[in-house]
Amino acid sequence: MMRTRTPLYGTLVLLLLAFLAPLLWALSGSFKPRGDIFAYPPRLLPDPFTLDNYQRLFSGQPFWRWFLMSTVVALVATTVSVFVCALAGYGFAKYRFAGKRLLFGVMFSSLSVPFAVILVPLFVILVKTGLGSPWFALIVPWVAPAFGIFMMQQYIVQSVPDSVIEAARIDGASEFGIFRTIVLPLLRPSLGALAVWQFLQSYNSFLWPLVLVSDSSQYTLPLGLQTLFVSEQRQYDLVLAGAVIAVVPAVALFVVLRKQLLEGLSTGAVKG
Amino acid sequence: MTTAVVGRARTTDERTGDSAGARRPRRTWAPYLFISPFYLLYVLFMLIPIAVSLWLSLTEWVGLGAPHWVGLRNYRNLLTDISFHRALGNTAVFVLVAVCAVVPLALLIAQALNTRGLRARDLWRTAYFVPIVVSPILVTLIFGLLFDRQFGLLNSILRALFGTGGVDWLGDPGLARVSIALVMLWRWTGYLTVFFLAGLQNVPRELYEAAALDGAGRLRTFTTVTLPALKPVTAFVVVTSFIGAAQIFEEPYLLTGGGPAESTLSVTMFIYRAAFQRQQFGYAAAAAVVLFVLVFGLSRLFNRLLGIGRASA
Repeated sequence: MMRTRTPLYGTLVLLLLAFLAPLLWALSGSFKPRGDIFAYPPRLLPDPFTLDNYQRLFSGQPFWRWFLMSTVVALVATTVSVFVCALAGYGFAKYRFAGKRLLFGVMFSSLSVPFAVILVPLFVILVKTGLGSPWFALIVPWVAPAFGIFMMQQYIVQSVPDSVIEAARIDGASEFGIFRTIVLPLLRPSLGALAVWQFLQSYNSFLWPLVLVSDSSQYTLPLGLQTLFVSEQRQYDLVLAGAVIAVVPAVALFVVLRKQLLEGLSTGAVKG
Repeated sequence: MTTAVVGRARTTDERTGDSAGARRPRRTWAPYLFISPFYLLYVLFMLIPIAVSLWLSLTEWVGLGAPHWVGLRNYRNLLTDISFHRALGNTAVFVLVAVCAVVPLALLIAQALNTRGLRARDLWRTAYFVPIVVSPILVTLIFGLLFDRQFGLLNSILRALFGTGGVDWLGDPGLARVSIALVMLWRWTGYLTVFFLAGLQNVPRELYEAAALDGAGRLRTFTTVTLPALKPVTAFVVVTSFIGAAQIFEEPYLLTGGGPAESTLSVTMFIYRAAFQRQQFGYAAAAAVVLFVLVFGLSRLFNRLLGIGRASA
């Protein structure tokens, strides 16, 4: 038994190292003095250990502004999109109505529209109509994700029993009342999964903020970090420190809700 | 994929419909109200932009003043634009890497993680998934440092092992593509593994037992039991990674700037460059329409070829 399993665990560990090594290297590098980051052989633990990179990041860059911008935008986008998806997912999962097949197909096929296709027109529309303020425009691309509706619809079909809805209907509850008081609470695990996913989509986005935001005080985190990287003196030390902080909210959210997320993501695919 | 889902949704409806008697009139409007926020946003931020894109693609516009109607000229120019051809070719290479390397590797890892009695399966799954949680920009920044010609960790390791480092990971046209492929592999494999693993865990155990009784070996079991059972997941994974890879942007933009000699220029980068660096909005829109037609058309084709939706057709 032990002998046959050793190659399996060996391979898995090697893969694990390949997946995590770049991140661990970045984490460790962020605590090294600039000159040590590229030292060879690479040291796993920083020696000497320094917080200097972080201090210079906070003092020399509007880092917290970038952080706040990203986080607030992502939170608003997540809240709106999760609500929109739950509503529409419920509509598709539990009702029968004329045009449903077509409407569902239209929604679903938008999954195959690359973002680059709407990049230019979205920019033009928002700037021309004066809605190009980052607080509004940064949120826009993430508020109506077909993927989220599909995920909700799948989950509702599987886990919200019709009998519960019927019982509430007989008790005289309104349709929206049923959704709010009965369906939403039942959806909690999958709402968590969808929320994490949507948060990551918005928080990690780069191309749209790159196009939209020109004022450096309104940069999102990815945009701000990019300026450190492409600047003349390639501030690797600051980049690594910034990368470590930027990744904290994303990884923290993921760790807390990973079970729901991993299962939620695969519900649609497995039985699709 | 679409039709399969609709088909299933319909059967559920029939259940709802059968059990429901009361309050018919109100129920006819409720679903439309529920889906209307989505369609409102969908029209505003998806359909209108696509329409504007089509219209812009027939104009010449520098971003100021009125667009100037030029008919199909932008498309004719794209036909002879070597940069655009390179962008299409490079993107095709990235798509092939995603579909022919990332997808099979993810399946292999999922297969390993699905081994019976494997300890800490969730831990492995979580760890492999982490790269997709990290933002693409951070990934490319970190890999940019690893690939650095002078100081990068990769070259340091090569120097230590073989005495020669100095590999120009991002400066050589062929290697630059390989480097970007490596980043894709790192970023996407764990994500796709999650789907395959979920699919594998859904294969009824009796099927494996039956195969074992028939004396099927590992390979035969894999081709006759595992692969057919994974068909829906595979279809989903292939189509998702195709769509994802077809719009690759961050990796080439940050790692190589599309170079050297446009060897890593992707279509999305081409669109970005045309619109926001060269103020050729009409031309960028035309390239976007071509991308749209290719991705939309091919993903439909894949759906059909992979046999999804056949059941409900």
